[in-house]
This record gives sequence, structure tokens and C-alpha cells, in this order.
Amino acid sequence: MLDKESYSIQLDEVDWNDTSCLITYGPLPDKLILSIQTVGLIHKPLLQRKSDGLFRIICGSRRLAVCRQLGLSPLSCEVLSISTSPVTSLRTAIYDNIAQRVLNPVEKSLVLTKMAKHLNQPQLVQEFMPLLDLEPSDTLCSRYVQLLPLEAPILDAIAEGTLHERIGFVLSPLERGDRLAFFNFFQELPFSVSVQEELVETVVEIGQRDNFTPRQILDSAEVNDLRRAHKRPARQRAQQIRKQLQARRTPRLTARQERFARETKDLGLPPGVRLIPPPYFEGPKWSLEFTFAGAEELAIRLRSVARLAEQAKFQRIMERE
Amino acid sequence: MMYFPQRLVIEKEVGDSPLVKRILATSPGLPVDWVDRVPENADGENGSFLEIVKFRGRFIKPCPGTRFYNCCGYQILNLGIQCSLGCTYCILQAYFTSPNVRLFANLDDAIQQLTEHLNDSPDHIHRIGTGEFTDSLLLDPLIHLSEHLVPFFAAQPRAILELKTKTAQVDLLEKMDHRGQTIVAWSLNPSEVIAREEAGAATLEERLGAAKRCQGWGYRVAFHFDPLLAYPGWRKGYQEVVERLFSAVDPGGIVWISLGTLRFMPTLKTVIQQRYPNTSILDEEFVPGLDGKLRYFRDLRVEMYAYLNELLLGIHKDLCIYLCMESDDVWREAFGYTPVERGGLSAMLDRRALSSFVPASI
Repeated sequence: MLDKESYSIQLDEVDWNDTSCLITYGPLPDKLILSIQTVGLIHKPLLQRKSDGLFRIICGSRRLAVCRQLGLSPLSCEVLSISTSPVTSLRTAIYDNIAQRVLNPVEKSLVLTKMAKHLNQPQLVQEFMPLLDLEPSDTLCSRYVQLLPLEAPILDAIAEGTLHERIGFVLSPLERGDRLAFFNFFQELPFSVSVQEELVETVVEIGQRDNFTPRQILDSAEVNDLRRAHKRPARQRAQQIRKQLQARRTPRLTARQERFARETKDLGLPPGVRLIPPPYFEGPKWSLEFTFAGAEELAIRLRSVARLAEQAKFQRIMERE
Repeated sequence: MMYFPQRLVIEKEVGDSPLVKRILATSPGLPVDWVDRVPENADGENGSFLEIVKFRGRFIKPCPGTRFYNCCGYQILNLGIQCSLGCTYCILQAYFTSPNVRLFANLDDAIQQLTEHLNDSPDHIHRIGTGEFTDSLLLDPLIHLSEHLVPFFAAQPRAILELKTKTAQVDLLEKMDHRGQTIVAWSLNPSEVIAREEAGAATLEERLGAAKRCQGWGYRVAFHFDPLLAYPGWRKGYQEVVERLFSAVDPGGIVWISLGTLRFMPTLKTVIQQRYPNTSILDEEFVPGLDGKLRYFRDLRVEMYAYLNELLLGIHKDLCIYLCMESDDVWREAFGYTPVERGGLSAMLDRRALSSFVPASI
């Protein structure tokens, strides 16, 4: 059990710069402010006496911040002994938080980053990742740890849930300017998380191949023209930009798809019939899709397609340039 | 570049094996750790440890082809894993987590399994290689493995050993009585690709020089343009390789040449990006193939195969050229026929394997 006693503490005795046990991230919840304003502090914060006479915050950083904002001082607090080890203090802070709420991804990153200073990797992964509802994996642990150095606007968005932590993972190896360029781009246009991941990969690969930074690509005239076409709905602009970037990354496949679309149109397939190439034109299996209302209609369409299949232009569709 | 480990980690159980005795004799002073069992992912800075272990599984297995593409029916004699040549595209980076080269020292068990395997189907033609999970000749100067394998295969009329390498370490092959049952094969790429992507391997000149020496000793040789890499100027690059190849070796003594463009499991992409951030091999566009591997877009593959095929046949029309892991439609477009029209790929290569050509001295 923890060795602690109750004291009345002046808030100017709290070391606000000591964040060694701080694992909360994000704005103060309005309801917490309202609660303290209305009924006062219900649960005592937990502090630890330091050798310089100040107090380190262990649990209740947000309650203390609200009290400080509201000018409530002194406060009745629980105080841990000076001899409590740093890892025990930090572990106490973590367990106190996870018992009350689900931590946001930035807070999970804080937990893993701070605990990594006290535990070896297997201990960290086995004890703390399940506690954070994360799969116990070294790779995932490293990805979470790499979130913390990201820029404040990106961390804020991840904490708020407006940017998925998976995007933080893929942005973390990039340069600061490139990260912020992607962040602004994703804030501006509605892409799903998996498409955001795909776009980071696509843009980075175009940049490596053509010797541009991702920021230069996202700020290029071709992309900007679409980004700024505000008369079009955001979803449409997002789709067009994605298509344009994909075409730039995979020019051969795009050219083949365009040729296929052109030649299929010229072929004049009957209505209700669709010719489908193999995925990525890989392999010999082409498909035909028929939509029909009855046997007679199907027979008509089949005859029509059979006639088309004998034509040279049908064969040409399946050949390379 | 000769492989030389900084430390040996040897399982006590194989301490008396000929391979261990040989390496201890050829590398005096090399630090040795004697252990009961080498763990699966043993440490070793940059793969500098050579692990010598007893292998407890099947030494001989079919090549892991897929049903989606034409497989050549090759069989793998697995005597070790990992490689120290450091090719950027190497699939072994994804297969094995430990960077250390691992040698299976219970060669007697391997030879026994191999004998049983050959006896089980005596009428079958066996094309067997040791270069799937490591380079066939990487360790040869240290362990003299070829001194065991080449004579064994010399006594097998229906089995061929293919030693696939990117080294020029062929000295030991000179005096062996191989009886035409061992083929020595090199993977080839343009010099600029070798310098950039195969930095630890022998140069093109060294590989072709070694091939020439092997031909001089009566060995049949083979070449694998695999992986073929698309890069600005690839046509000129591969044309130069072909020209240099045929100025070095007698084309009549080439048993086969394979072509295969770069392909890899998607998991390898991240490994390559992390280990070799400056490589340009990932610049080309890739699509998922029928087997899930990422490949060049098929039109580019066909273009590269057709170009190489024309170039090679333009110099010597009787070459046996085949595609590694490609579909019938790619064969037809690139070569004008499919393997089945010639009895199947496996039969095509079996016929070549049994051909009794012995090259003239050059």
C-alpha cells in the first residue's frame, strides 16, 4: 500500500513544471470545471513531496489545473512520502487514470514513453499495452512512442480524435514541414483513414522517385488547383486529388485503365453488360457482368456480346500496347 | 567479397562434424561459443556471427512455387540460411529475423535424406539447388561444402546439382570429378545495378570470369537474370551484360538462362525502406500479383522479358530461356509460346539437364 497522508496544500507549493507523472493530454473538460465550480473538489488529488520542498503531481492534474484556474487554494490533498520510488509514483498515476476513463492515443504514448525509462521492453509491452487496450507488440509500442515528438496541432488532433493515430504513425518518420503539410491537407479534405495512409505512401514514393519533398507535391499547382476549386464539393475534390496522385505514382497502370475505358466505350457493349478486366490486368481471367430482366433479354445480350467477341477490337482490349 | 565471420556459435552436438572440423582448421583464432542450442533469433552485430547447428527438419523440399504461375519443378537442398552479401532486394530479409548466417552441420543426415529421396523416384529427373535460402558458394572457402556435394551428385545419373551464386568463389571446383552433374549458376545484373543494389557481391566481371573458369573445367553453367530491375537505361544496361556474358563464356555450354523481374512479398517493402532508404528499386510501380507478391505491371514485365529474350536468342538461337514464376499469358506475349506447348516447363528443363554437352575449352 502507498504511504500517504492528508495535508492542506497551497497551489503555489505545487511544482507545475514537474511533469514526470503527468499522463493526461488535452483540454480541460467543461464538465469538470462545472463540477468543481458547483460543488467544489470531491476527490483529493495525490501529490508527492519533493526534496526542494515543492510537490509533484501524481494524480488529479486536471482537477488541480481547474482549481488553479478558479483560484481555489489551499486544497486538501493526499501526499506521498518523499521516499516513494519514481516508478511507483508513475505506476500509481497510470493505474488511477485507467481505472476512471479510456486514455486517448497521445496519453497512451505518454504512458509508454514515460514507463520506458523505468522498465525493459518486454515488461513494458506485457504489462502496459494490455492495460491500454493495445495488442502487446514491440512494433506497436515503438509506433506509439514515436507519436510524442509530433507537432502540437497534430497531437491535439489525435487526442481529440479528428486525426487517427495510424496517421500519426505514418507521419512520424517524415520531416516537420512535410508532416504539417499532410496534416493541413487532411484537415481540409475528407479522406478515410485508410485513404490517408495510402496518400502518405503515394506522395512519399512520388517524392522519392521524382526528387521532391511531400510538401512540394502537396503544394504543387496541379494539386492546389483541385484543392482550391471550392465550387466543387469537398468529397469530389478529395476523390479527384487522390486519382491524380495515384495516376502520378502508377502511370503505366493508369494509362492501361484509361485505354481500357476508352476501348470498352468504343466497343459499344449492349446496355446492362459490363466487361471487367482482371485486377491490375494480372492473369488471364476477364469477366463479363450481365444485368437483365428475363431470359429473353439475356439471350439478346448474349448474342450481341458473342458478335462483338469475334471482332478484332474486342481482342485488342486484352492486349498490351 | 569473401564472407568471414567475427565469431562462431556452434552447437556441441555437431562439434565432431566434418564441416565444423574444417572451419576450425581453416579459421584458427576465431572466437567460438560452444552452446547446447542456438536460439532462433540469436544476437550478432550486423550478422557477423556464423551459427553452426544441427538441423532437425527436412533438408530437401520442393521450391515454394504457387499454382498461379508456371513453376519449374526445382527442388531445394537446404543446408543453411541467410546471406551476408546484403542485396537490397533480398527476400531473405523478410524470411529470417536473425541476420546471422546459419549452417546446418549434420551433412550426413542431409545426404541420407537426399539418397532416400532420389531412391524413392529413381526414374524422375531431379534438379536440385542449394541457393534458395543462402548463396550456394558463400561459405565454400571456409567449409568446403562443394567437396561433399559435387562428388555425391557425380554418382547420381538422374540428379543435377545447381550451385547458384553471386560470388566468384569457385577455386575448389577445379579439381573435382563432377561428371557433368553439377551446374554452376550466376545471377546477373548490369554493373551499375550490382554497385548500387548488390554491393557485397562479386562484380559482373568477377562473376563472368568465374563462369569462364568453370566452363574451362568442364562444368555446364547457367545464368539467372533475376531479379531483372527496371531503371532509367535498363535496356542499355542489360544489353551490355548480354554482350559481356557472351564474350566471356561459350553459349553452347549454357544449360539454361532464367528471367524474372523483381517481385516480393509486401512485408519486404518496409524492410527495404528501413534498411536501404536510398535504394531506387522501389521507384517503379508495383501491383499485387496473383500470388500476393508485388510485381512490376505486367506490360513492363512482358516488355523486359521480350527484350532480353530477343537479345539472347539473337546471339545464340539454341539457348534454353525460361521465365521464373510467370503465367501462360505473359509467356505467350513475351516468348510467343507457353510452356505446355513444349511439354511443360519442368520437362523443358529436365531435357536440358540431361543433355550431355561438354563445352570445348575456351
